[in-house]
Amino acid sequence: MPGENELVKVYTPKKRTTPTPKKPIPPKLKLLFTIVNREKADVFTALLESFDINMQLVVAAQGTATTEMLRYLGYSDNKKAVIISVIREDRANAALQFLEEKFKTIKNGKGIAYTVPMTSTIGVAIYQFLSNTRR
Amino acid sequence: MKQFKHEVIFCVVNSGFSESAMEAAREYGARGGTVFRARGTANLEAEKFLNILIQPEKEIVMILVDSSIKDDILHALYRAVGLNTPGQGIAFSLPVDQVVGISAPEEEKSE
Repeated sequence: MPGENELVKVYTPKKRTTPTPKKPIPPKLKLLFTIVNREKADVFTALLESFDINMQLVVAAQGTATTEMLRYLGYSDNKKAVIISVIREDRANAALQFLEEKFKTIKNGKGIAYTVPMTSTIGVAIYQFLSNTRR
Repeated sequence: MKQFKHEVIFCVVNSGFSESAMEAAREYGARGGTVFRARGTANLEAEKFLNILIQPEKEIVMILVDSSIKDDILHALYRAVGLNTPGQGIAFSLPVDQVVGISAPEEEKSE
């Protein structure tokens, strides 16, 4: 036991001489919205899987082209599907370019696609699943 | 691929009011939208406390617009189907980074 007047040595860890290697910043995530004819939803979800997309939601929707005009023209099919995919930021550009090409080449496959940034997600496993970066 | 300056507006309205929302948006330059059905999950206690009935059947109108007309459309939606109307709608916008598949407006085409 140290006496009342005795100084107590405090342990101070030595400073590290080698710098710790910087961890690579994990890529951000985005939501990719793809709006296509409902009959083509399966085609597009299958195509998008090749862009490291692990989770996609398909929502049944309707286009809002003026119905009267469509009726006159004989088109009554305004059934759409909204595909919401979670995609890594570094893959989004390639996916959009690919979709742009497919909108032109697939018969009756015209649609629109856009990305919206995601700000947060919670859980490492969830992030790794969504970004397809699981080791 | 062109880099556009767009935003996407989501407008959640009571079922049957998506047409009114689209009409209001079209007046200010929106070209089209997509509607999907949803179910609201309002707090039951709040409903009792405020003595209002919140219709659970909702429609969500999703409109991709140019950023320059976004504010006008949001105001138009507020006036046409806002919370003080039978549509009881709320509208918000999200930023859009990149867009593919929409044709450029006439002015851009001629450039």
